[in-house]
Amino acid sequence: MKNKISSFIGSILNTYAILFFSQNKVLGGILLFVSFVNPLAGLSGLCCTLFTLTVINILGYQHENIQSGVYSFNSLLLGLAFGTFFNLTGYYVLWLAFVCLLVIMLTIILTDRLGKLGLPILSIPFILCYWLVLFGEGVYYHGGLQQKNTFLLIHNATGTGCLVNIYQYFSVGLPCYLGLFFRALSAVLFQNNILTGILISIGVFIHSRIMFSLLVIGFISALLFNTITHNYPDGISYYNLGANFMLSTATIGSFFLIPSVRSYLLAILSVPVMFIITNALTGIMATYNLPVFALPFCVINITLLYFLLLRRKPGKLQLIGLQHYSPERNLYQFLNQKDRLDDLKYFRFSLPFMGSWTVSQGYNGDITHKGEWGKALDFVIEDDDKKTYSHQGNLPEHFYCFNKPVLACGDGIIANVVDHVEDNAIGEANKKENWGNTVVIKHLNGLYSKVSHLKKGSIKVKVGDIVKTGDLLGRCGSSGRSPEPHLHFQIQATAYIDAKTLAYPFAFYMTGNGKKASINSYKIPEGGQVLTPPAIHKTIRKAFDFQPGYTAVLMSEDCKMESIEVFTDESGQSYLYSKETSAAAYFINNGTQFYFTSFYGDTNSLLYYFHLAAYKVIFVNDDSILASDAYPIHLHHNKIQLWLQDIIAPFYRFISLSYQSSNLSKKAGIAISVKQFKNIFGTTRQEMDASIDISEAGIQEFSIHINKVDIKAKWVRGNIY
Amino acid sequence: MNKLKYERPYIKKLTAGAMNKFGSLSGSQPFKFIDNVPVKSLVEAYGSPLFVISEKHIRRNYRAAYRAFSTRYPKVQFAWSYKTNYLNAVCNIFHQEGSWAEVVSGFEYQKALGNGVPGNKIIFNGPGKSKKDLLLAVENDSLIHIDHLEELGLLLPLCEGLDYQPKVAIRVNMDTGVYPLWDRFGFNYENGEAWRAILKIVNSGKLKLTGLHCHIGTYIQTTAAYGVAASKMAALAIKCNTELKQHIEYLDLGGGFPSTNTLKGAYLPGTDTMPTIDDFAEEITGTLIRAGFENDDLPLLILESGRLLIDDAGYLLGTVLANKRLSDGKLATIVDIGVNILFTSFWYDHQVSPADDYSPTVENTVIYGPLCMNIDVIRESVNLPLLKSGDHIVIHKVGAYNMTQWMQFIALRPAIVLIDEQEQVHLIKAAETLEHIETNEYIPEHLK
Repeated sequence: MKNKISSFIGSILNTYAILFFSQNKVLGGILLFVSFVNPLAGLSGLCCTLFTLTVINILGYQHENIQSGVYSFNSLLLGLAFGTFFNLTGYYVLWLAFVCLLVIMLTIILTDRLGKLGLPILSIPFILCYWLVLFGEGVYYHGGLQQKNTFLLIHNATGTGCLVNIYQYFSVGLPCYLGLFFRALSAVLFQNNILTGILISIGVFIHSRIMFSLLVIGFISALLFNTITHNYPDGISYYNLGANFMLSTATIGSFFLIPSVRSYLLAILSVPVMFIITNALTGIMATYNLPVFALPFCVINITLLYFLLLRRKPGKLQLIGLQHYSPERNLYQFLNQKDRLDDLKYFRFSLPFMGSWTVSQGYNGDITHKGEWGKALDFVIEDDDKKTYSHQGNLPEHFYCFNKPVLACGDGIIANVVDHVEDNAIGEANKKENWGNTVVIKHLNGLYSKVSHLKKGSIKVKVGDIVKTGDLLGRCGSSGRSPEPHLHFQIQATAYIDAKTLAYPFAFYMTGNGKKASINSYKIPEGGQVLTPPAIHKTIRKAFDFQPGYTAVLMSEDCKMESIEVFTDESGQSYLYSKETSAAAYFINNGTQFYFTSFYGDTNSLLYYFHLAAYKVIFVNDDSILASDAYPIHLHHNKIQLWLQDIIAPFYRFISLSYQSSNLSKKAGIAISVKQFKNIFGTTRQEMDASIDISEAGIQEFSIHINKVDIKAKWVRGNIY
Repeated sequence: MNKLKYERPYIKKLTAGAMNKFGSLSGSQPFKFIDNVPVKSLVEAYGSPLFVISEKHIRRNYRAAYRAFSTRYPKVQFAWSYKTNYLNAVCNIFHQEGSWAEVVSGFEYQKALGNGVPGNKIIFNGPGKSKKDLLLAVENDSLIHIDHLEELGLLLPLCEGLDYQPKVAIRVNMDTGVYPLWDRFGFNYENGEAWRAILKIVNSGKLKLTGLHCHIGTYIQTTAAYGVAASKMAALAIKCNTELKQHIEYLDLGGGFPSTNTLKGAYLPGTDTMPTIDDFAEEITGTLIRAGFENDDLPLLILESGRLLIDDAGYLLGTVLANKRLSDGKLATIVDIGVNILFTSFWYDHQVSPADDYSPTVENTVIYGPLCMNIDVIRESVNLPLLKSGDHIVIHKVGAYNMTQWMQFIALRPAIVLIDEQEQVHLIKAAETLEHIETNEYIPEHLK
């Protein structure tokens, strides 16, 4: 029950905040507060919001949209507009309620239809419904709905006492343009009030520094453009400035696009277009005596968004994939995930052999990997002297790689097998049966792998067999165009033996050895590199094997308890969910490493701290192997530094948060030792120290020390056989 | 006709010399350099006799053996058998290459700790562990390989009050088709002793059975024996996994791989007759991969090879003291290397090379050591050029066991040097002195 109430209150605040494309409770609260500057408007807005939320909750629409306020903010706008432009009469409430129902229906329908195209509804339902009301105005007038005298009347503060004094102080004391800026902001709530504008500015700044900077940029560009063109000789009206020009630059620059130099430029370039659209629409609507409200804003945003959505190659102007309702979070998450989500892009290929092999010819090698067959790899085994054989090297058996097992590089079905070609004598090449003995595996439609030059008669699989990663296919040989034993490996799009090659990375391999070993993920090996498959440690892998339905209880030393369960969302992504705090941490486990991709919710929850500690774990029990990664910048806890960073984040990032973990053996199992480093302008400082204890039975406990917080929590699982 | 006196049979290789200009020269070749360092300069600097170890050779042996296993099996770990050669410098070379330590006594255990090996990378084998040794191993989280039930009885009380289960394995012995059967170590597989020991360990609830260990013998000259051992070990591990839910993390197949020394009585040289490490690796890994484990659940394969990795990296330099004719006319050469420092001369016909140029004439010679003991024979019969007093000789492939089993007897033990990869010479053990020997001797007052 307590949860339900708090989530209901949350949805109310979100409805307000989403007017500025935010889910920030502070901004929502401020907007709710300042809407009551005009008490009737404020009350009508709040009532419409409550009414709408109640109706759609009862009728049972999509929970996420209800919670985020997407379904209810048009009703809020309606309430605000009604309260602002109509007098309170006996029938006011009646009409408001029914128009509000109309808005709800239109919102739900448009959200679905436009949503299928990937587009937002913005304030279209409100504008349409409001026009409907105005069209039939005369009728309603007799029905008791009275419009106020002036359209978009200049509202002054109607309050009394000190508030008025402050207001007068501001209107006199502030420079004219600054006053205009604040009045323009207040226009979003159909007000013309500097104080409201100041409070909203504070709210927007708390919500997002990037968005605030774009509001300012939009304001300046619109005024500058008007000064140059004299489009509006008396200046742009504060309403158009706020609800159309400034809000458009903010959404184009930071909400629908990943904030960047390009998005900022696009936002500025949209200003002249806005002039055209605003003028045209105002003109057209004037014939019907209808206000345009934020229609120009809706038109330009939807047009531009649709236009950009249809691109095949997004290039550097990236649309937001997953909306976090925070430009900063969108940007940091995007930058962070750009290089981290290879698991979702590629099929997981592992090396087709055991032990250390050298790439004797890489992609586009100058021996045989040419043209359309260039994206292939040749492997041999070398000794310390870079020799590939012992003894005289005049027999295939003298070569280290000869007769070594060749493995399936991924799960799949055998698509093609050749096993009859004689192995060559050293120095001879069989150019007639170029590929020699070969196995082709189909992994996915359009994704095949091929190993060639195998030893005659060594192939253990036949066409149609299902193979798993690591199954024995055959033995390395020297058949086909192979003057000395080696293994040819390529990825291709078709099942043919002589198919063209595809450039494709291996999911995991190690390079170097001993203390200098490093782990490579989703990279294409280069000629001359020595590659080794990682030795996966079963205990670590098992501890992080969080299948949907996995449950555990986290118990901290100060008796805080959180129940954790693993779920998957509609897109098949898994996350750990903390029931008590509603926090969710998304993760990927690819069999070689476990890593978190994003975190939502309470940053005081134990799950949040576990997510910081187990941000990336490689399942290798070798203390010299470091798992390195980077956190998204918004996890930085120093708010002042972070806000400074936010302002210039689209152009330059001076803060970075790096992560490091290594797995150390200890008496009862393994301890994952974790460190977080903060790097500001090149100076690095350790921020966090954590450790996760793992035993045969799974995760035992974790401890973390960060930013004066010390947490030690036990990880308790039910008795699992 | 009188019955002829019995004479023991022997085979002697005919050395007819060069048949033509392409024929190989039989007999010894002068061996003047070890890793490009002149033998003469080594003897001059460090005295004679002198043990010389080649770091380059050790690393190559290690990498070749590791390559042989790791390119056939996904998870391989070597553990350096301390008893084979526990000079700290030698051990550290192996540890640098990634080897764990395999020790069989408290003394060796301390050495491994002293060399900086983490406790959990020390394998504690052997039938003679004391309570104190076991306690140390438990505290350091080492892998304790239990040899007999008495040891288990000694170990269990040590686990009282611990908040973790010490990791143990059992040594299993089995019939692999080779003689002798090493059934004096560990628990027998065929008669069920091994399984009963496993049950005792698991049921005690105080110990964590993490692995299984066997070591089927030494100088095994057939790969088939390892195949049998691997399949029996795998079967036991799978039985533990399925019936006891006791995940066996590793199988320790021990060592026992032969070096290329020629055993006494062998007709052909060891280089020609011994299977290579690749042959052993193929047999062991092939058997384990076919044994029925899941691809991603193969147990770690631990190998404790000692002799194979170091025998041919060790040389013993000596000096000719005298020549004489024996009563039957055979030539005898007396050198300053005695069996007290070349223990393996009881097992092998060590290859002996002169360290200087010599004339092509060779003569069958017996090489005696300097000890005043009849058994002090280095080679009973070897074709050598005519050496004179003061000439140097090199005895090959002496890296294993000699530097741990040598005795201080009659003479003092010599120095040991290491030639590193940059061909620099390092003294890694100084020659013994009288003080070394007498430092822990006491004379009762009345005898002074």
